[in-house]
Amino acid sequence: MNIRTLKVAFALLVAFLLAGAPALEAGNKNVRSSSKSSVGNKNVNRNNNSNRNTNINSNKNVNVNSNRNNNVNINRDRDIDIDVDVDHRGGCCYNNHHHGVGVVGAVAAVAVTAAVVGSIVNTLPPSCSVVMVNGFTYQQCGSVWYQPQFVGTTTSYVVVTAPR
Amino acid sequence: MKRDWNRSRTAVVSGFVLLAMAVTFAPAPAAAQMGAAPAAEVAVEPAAIAALEQMGAYLRTLKAYQVEAATSREEVLESGLKAQFANVTTILVRMPDRLFAETVGDRQQRQYYYNGKEFTLYARRLTYYATVAAPATVKELATTVDDKYGIEIPLVDLFLWGADGASSAGITAAVDLGASAIDGVTCTHYAFRQEGLDWQIWIQKGDFPLPKRLVLTTTTDEARPQFTANYTWNLAPSFNDEAFTFDPPADAKRIVFEEAAAASK
Repeated sequence: MNIRTLKVAFALLVAFLLAGAPALEAGNKNVRSSSKSSVGNKNVNRNNNSNRNTNINSNKNVNVNSNRNNNVNINRDRDIDIDVDVDHRGGCCYNNHHHGVGVVGAVAAVAVTAAVVGSIVNTLPPSCSVVMVNGFTYQQCGSVWYQPQFVGTTTSYVVVTAPR
Repeated sequence: MKRDWNRSRTAVVSGFVLLAMAVTFAPAPAAAQMGAAPAAEVAVEPAAIAALEQMGAYLRTLKAYQVEAATSREEVLESGLKAQFANVTTILVRMPDRLFAETVGDRQQRQYYYNGKEFTLYARRLTYYATVAAPATVKELATTVDDKYGIEIPLVDLFLWGADGASSAGITAAVDLGASAIDGVTCTHYAFRQEGLDWQIWIQKGDFPLPKRLVLTTTTDEARPQFTANYTWNLAPSFNDEAFTFDPPADAKRIVFEEAAAASK
């Protein structure tokens, strides 16, 4: 084993520590269940950590020589219990910490999927402006439009096509 | 015992089944023979069920009330760690068709308005609200918003206990645990079990059997997360009708409810 091999191994280790370890820690903060808050609650345990994967593959053979491939990957990730009011200034370490970890892995994923119509995020990117269309609120963040919504009593933002 | 071996084949087969069952239960024959319940079972005390029904019936006689509840609820993280969150919840009810509720906690602050025609959920710090047409009674509202939007009206049990359709049939254990004082008020402490939930309630003694404290232990997760509510009752609240209609502040922004049917399941 030469020096170069060791360097590569060390680099891989650092990469793992930076990207892998925080992601594991973040995963541990996902909520697996919560206490029921009513006796008559027929909704025994609504699973709020739902992952929806929609793969749309459409092949259109316009003519013999052209082959079009559209791959749309929609990842809907809802950690509803992790959600916290965006304007929260109370300084609760729990949620802030959550958003702070896993940065290395998460940023890339967000950048890729954020603009896909139908994808859902719990917090908006910076620099958005409120636009009212037909009495309902939209958030325009650059070229991407988000529609705020209540999912249960928590808020999230779904990427929509420009409403006007 | 004299057996008729000339019976049909079916009878012989069932005889074998009975024999097999007898062998299976052989280790604990005494209890079965004496007619006593197996040790794991807990009694359903009729008096405890009656107390619950009496409380429900009394709640249904209340025309207007305000309840403030200090609540705590637990979440179980994937690691098995439990996290507890406190809330203060207030509800103001005028039966059958007016409700205002507010929950204030570190993570969420929400207001619920229902005036018999419309239902509004308002996120005060985010200044978002959503309004939809609503059914004619508080009870129907509770069912509708839960089914449609996955929203549980705070302290929903208070207007479901004793209501039409409420039933204690699902209760598999009911025990009277004796007298217990809550905030200086003498109550009777009961414990119940139903599917996925063990729960305790403290009911005020005397002519006004109000629930004073509720503890729910969810048993579907081995970590058994708990919810606790301590109720402070006001049976003569002062309010006017405007309390139940959402009047959007200048900075309030209207948004939509995602329909639960599409969200999960």
